[in-house]
Amino acid sequence: MADTPMTAPRKASWKSSFAKWLGVAPFFLFAIFFILLPSFSLLTGSFFDADGNFTFKNIAELFTNPTIVTAYKLSIEISAVTALGGGIFGFLLAYAITIGGLPKFVRKALITFSGVASNFAGVPLAFAFVATLGRTGFVTALLDVYVFQKYFGIKLYDTGFNLYSFAGLALTYLYFQFPLMVLIMTPALDGLKREWREAAENLGATAFQYWTRVALPILLPPILGTMVLLFGNAFGAYATAYALTGGALPIITIQIGAQIRGDVLHNPNLGYAMAMGMVFIMAISLVGYSWLQKFSERWLR
Amino acid sequence: MAYLSISNVSKQFGDTTVVDNFNLDIEKGEFVSFLGPSGCGKTTTLRMVAGFEIPTTGQIMLDGSDITDVAPNQRNVGMIFQSYALFPNMTVAQNIAFGLRVRKETDDMVKQRVQEMIALIHLEEHANKYPFQLSGGQQQRVSLARALAIHPQVLLLDEPLSALDAKIRVSLRAEIRSIQKSLGITAIFVTHDQEEALSISDRVVVMNVGEMEQVGTPFEIYNFPKTSFVANFVGSLNTSKATVVDPAGGILDMNGIRVHSESGVQGKKKGDVVMVAIRPERFSFSWEGKKENVTEGTVENITFLGSVVRVQLLIGGIKFNMDTFNRPSLTLPKIGEKCEVTFSSKAVLILDD
Amino acid sequence: MKLKFKSLWSWIWFLIGTLYFILPLYATLDFSLRMERDTIGFKAYRVAFADPKFVETFARSNILAVITIIVSIILIVPTAYWVRLRLPQARRIVEFITLLPFVIPAIILVFGMIRVFSTPVRIPFTDIILIQPLTTLIVNKFHLGTYILIVAGYMILALPYMYRAVDTGMRTVDVRTLTEASQSLGANGFTIMWHVILPNIRASLLSGALLTYAIVVGEVVLASFLGLDTFGPYLFLLGQHRAYEPSALTFVAFLLTWAAMGIIQLVSGEQGQTAGAH
Repeated sequence: MADTPMTAPRKASWKSSFAKWLGVAPFFLFAIFFILLPSFSLLTGSFFDADGNFTFKNIAELFTNPTIVTAYKLSIEISAVTALGGGIFGFLLAYAITIGGLPKFVRKALITFSGVASNFAGVPLAFAFVATLGRTGFVTALLDVYVFQKYFGIKLYDTGFNLYSFAGLALTYLYFQFPLMVLIMTPALDGLKREWREAAENLGATAFQYWTRVALPILLPPILGTMVLLFGNAFGAYATAYALTGGALPIITIQIGAQIRGDVLHNPNLGYAMAMGMVFIMAISLVGYSWLQKFSERWLR
Repeated sequence: MAYLSISNVSKQFGDTTVVDNFNLDIEKGEFVSFLGPSGCGKTTTLRMVAGFEIPTTGQIMLDGSDITDVAPNQRNVGMIFQSYALFPNMTVAQNIAFGLRVRKETDDMVKQRVQEMIALIHLEEHANKYPFQLSGGQQQRVSLARALAIHPQVLLLDEPLSALDAKIRVSLRAEIRSIQKSLGITAIFVTHDQEEALSISDRVVVMNVGEMEQVGTPFEIYNFPKTSFVANFVGSLNTSKATVVDPAGGILDMNGIRVHSESGVQGKKKGDVVMVAIRPERFSFSWEGKKENVTEGTVENITFLGSVVRVQLLIGGIKFNMDTFNRPSLTLPKIGEKCEVTFSSKAVLILDD
Repeated sequence: MKLKFKSLWSWIWFLIGTLYFILPLYATLDFSLRMERDTIGFKAYRVAFADPKFVETFARSNILAVITIIVSIILIVPTAYWVRLRLPQARRIVEFITLLPFVIPAIILVFGMIRVFSTPVRIPFTDIILIQPLTTLIVNKFHLGTYILIVAGYMILALPYMYRAVDTGMRTVDVRTLTEASQSLGANGFTIMWHVILPNIRASLLSGALLTYAIVVGEVVLASFLGLDTFGPYLFLLGQHRAYEPSALTFVAFLLTWAAMGIIQLVSGEQGQTAGAH
């Protein structure tokens, strides 16, 4: 092949294809320097001990060290609870503004609200919830006067509820979780064609049969997919939890933060492994999301 | 009594009347098309038969029972949608089985019926594919099989071919017609495409702004349009005003040109102004033979349309289109030339309005 | 009857949703107005705004946001354009990279950055330093290295949103046809980019920019671990020892988010996107 007349244009095309790739070089350099290099450094770090010897000990310790296991468990729990709760609530709201027959301006208002709320997080969100459900919060006071003291003779915080606890953090996370569900499910519900419902009815299906056999199966991938997304959304959250509980609720991000501040595990490499464990879980949820996304792309267009 | 009878049906959405006093009797096994432009009420009428809309007034009887207010899922009519409306989460076989499953038929019965239907539409090797893996034509055939699987009393087709390519449109409409004939099923077919309606139907209902303009066989609709709307909507047409000169002899004056019409000028007086219509293909050059209604025109333009050549003529200051069959032996006048053309007195239609 | 029940049900959910949205904001506003005993007033806001530390950190956050937006656009617009026009085979890998920030949360990102860029690069198994750590790059007492790091970090947090906004914009205006049309009229590369492409995707750029702003201006994780005094960490510290002023600033932060999202809605018409530095 090398001495055929094709050689010259081929070489030129190789050169031009190199030039083509040069066009995206800045982007790739940026990604390599600031995304891949830091991630890779944590990845390699998790496979070495303090003396620079290769080891699986750090990875193994992720499953045995009680502090780490508790942190992962807590993070997974809070992410799962808020993904499920936010997912169901967000779905019902999205249903209300699409099929539920609420007027157009209500839909617009809710979508705008959701856009804002899903981006309203971190320290301000934590402070807002302290003002709402903290010990002297606005809603706490309302509930105390009109519900708890009136009917039970106790206060909200006497029931064992505490904003700076698992339940409190979950309620706070929900503030950005369910709006995200609303934002993603609204177009999905719009994608349910009126003809599907009519075809089902025409073939003799009841409304219940339509929902259980057609609508919900079609919506299942986006519902699950978005819930997976919500899971990742909560799993990676740090600022909200830290600002709200000040580290009292040792979820995995809080533990990693403590490790960055001052090597609380007394083993930097174990910290890297802990971070990689998080990336691993996040990656799985993203893969799950994209897999479910494929169904939505085919079914709801 | 007719198998399906739609009597005095009107439908209003708020203040707008979408269907106005619709009356039609359809016999068992008949294939009827509703033809009209968008917004003429044809789809609304179909949806009232399906039960998706309830008539504001009037009655719909199917095989002796009143179905006017029966819920869609309690009627036994099959519907085909323009967008196919296949359930994307189900395979071809599952889609076809849906109507039988919700009727709680036995597994054996469902299986057998699904196989029959898949064989009917020739999609045996696609039975386990999902709709997104099929072409538009294949999807619409599945939709047909799904509607037929439940042994519907009437098959309703709402512009089923509009979303398809031209070639598939023609072949699928022939397939729909042959399946309908072989099963002897009663069908209503909604379309805005006159060629489709004429080619497929036993009878055509032409509709315009909520009203029925004319009901008849394709032959009647095309050759004897009663209103200018029907005449214009079905096929192409030359229309002109004319003054009655001799009501008994059928002589009219069209901008100074004497025209003889065989269809009724009865009931008109001398001096009445009527609307006259002549189809382009009814014109011919006078050297080709006949010598009735001979007149001279100026050639303005000539367009080749394949099997037909369209000649635009100016006759007595009025523009006329003339279609003549394209053949190698055809000799055409040049643009700007004058030529004599002729048309039969049967070709001159007098329209009602 | 059935329909009425359905919409009643919808209204109930909508009401609960609205309460969930409004109550925390109302509570914050209410609290922030009660700094003076027995009266409603804006004292908390006056005090908060008068704090020179607030002015300094808030200004710094805004400057960082602007720099992040500008550098992001400079990096992303040509990349997205190039991928669309000349290098469609790079689309998958570029999109994969833009999704990485979803897998690598801010806390992990900053962890890795600190590990890589705050320790010197040595020749393996020796103590000979090849490259000094980026964080020690200081020009006239200005921690340039750290600022480079934080801007890079913010660009990464905003990358998925910025890239998607720009790419969607380019798809809707069909940059390929626009480019070919401009070329046939004799325009050069710079003219095409500056006078044709950028003006046509400005709505998308604005959306991307505002989302980036919403992410950056209150960001805490990167700023606090990289040790920069910005608005996020300032607000957090203020919350540790003051009561009313943090509420006032929280409400201000909310209004900023609201403004950013509102403008996005206005320019893009449909649904807003979401980003989050949670």
